[in-house]
Amino acid sequence: MPTVVLHRNGQTYSDEVKENTNLVVRAGIRQFPYPNFLYGCGMGKCGKCTSLIIKGGEHLPAPNWKEKKQLGAKIDLGYRLACQLWLTHDVELSQDNPPPP
Amino acid sequence: MTKLMNHVEFRTALEDAIKGKSANKAPFSIAWASGKLSRAHLARWAENHYHYVGPFADYLGYIYARMPHRYLEAKDFLLSNMYEEEIGGDRHTDLLIRFAKACGTTAERVKDPENMSATTRGLQSWCYAVAMREDPIVAVAGLVVGLESQVPSIYRRQTPTLREKYGFTDEEVEFFDLHIVSDEIHGERGYQIVLAHADTVELQQRCLKICEIGAQMRLLYTTALYHDYVANEIPLAELSLIEKSVPQAESQLLQA
Repeated sequence: MPTVVLHRNGQTYSDEVKENTNLVVRAGIRQFPYPNFLYGCGMGKCGKCTSLIIKGGEHLPAPNWKEKKQLGAKIDLGYRLACQLWLTHDVELSQDNPPPP
Repeated sequence: MTKLMNHVEFRTALEDAIKGKSANKAPFSIAWASGKLSRAHLARWAENHYHYVGPFADYLGYIYARMPHRYLEAKDFLLSNMYEEEIGGDRHTDLLIRFAKACGTTAERVKDPENMSATTRGLQSWCYAVAMREDPIVAVAGLVVGLESQVPSIYRRQTPTLREKYGFTDEEVEFFDLHIVSDEIHGERGYQIVLAHADTVELQQRCLKICEIGAQMRLLYTTALYHDYVANEIPLAELSLIEKSVPQAESQLLQA
């Protein structure tokens, strides 16, 4: 099972999740990383779940059209939309470093 | 004698009831999964689907009003579900209309209730009746667990088919994409509510029955789409041959 390490508000939270887990879905059903995970529409529009991928980015699927549209060049800086990611491997991410405007 | 099930047993029973007892595959679903439908057929689907899923927030509104205040978390879930359907991001029906336009129909035609079949009208009426008349927990079982929770697994398979076999663009099929996340949350929260509050044998049995009826209604709706719009052009015999080559999971597309 993938291990997720989340940095938010200066704190670190970590837990195992099932394979093919989406962190926005998990938070939406009140499981880890709830209540410490910031998210919004779940459809790649609002950008609230934008996260800086610290480790494990190589195992994530390539950015989809919604991420390209929402994040643009910020993808190259390591940012992804968590609502578009289904996790199969360990990942470490941060919501403490918002992307530059 | 039927006994009160624990949460694990009850969840399994709900999942079995949702699958339905019928072994019949809806021919419209087989035709969709195999790429046999024309854009005109898909336009007719969109014109009908709008009247089934379009009032979803209305259905939930009736349940919300009748949900006892002691189930505050369930009420909040219903309110949040309504918000997300309508104004949380893009309105879901707007995305359905975008797909419909790509199929060659118009927003006016999609919104016009004259363009839904009698069977779709029956499905919509059943949803309203469940929302207005059933015990609110049973209604959540019927509409959220029985219908809405089925959407992610279906659309997850349906979206690549629409791109690869029918040639739609990413934006044209966004309606199918967005449900993968939002309905997964809604469906699971629905399960949590039903498991927590269907706490008598009678309530559990009513929840199971309504999920079973929901499965029948979905199959009725999808079967009628074939007979009303496709049968004259793609005979059943042709689909029977195809069905053998279509993976079972794909042939169950659209049964929600």
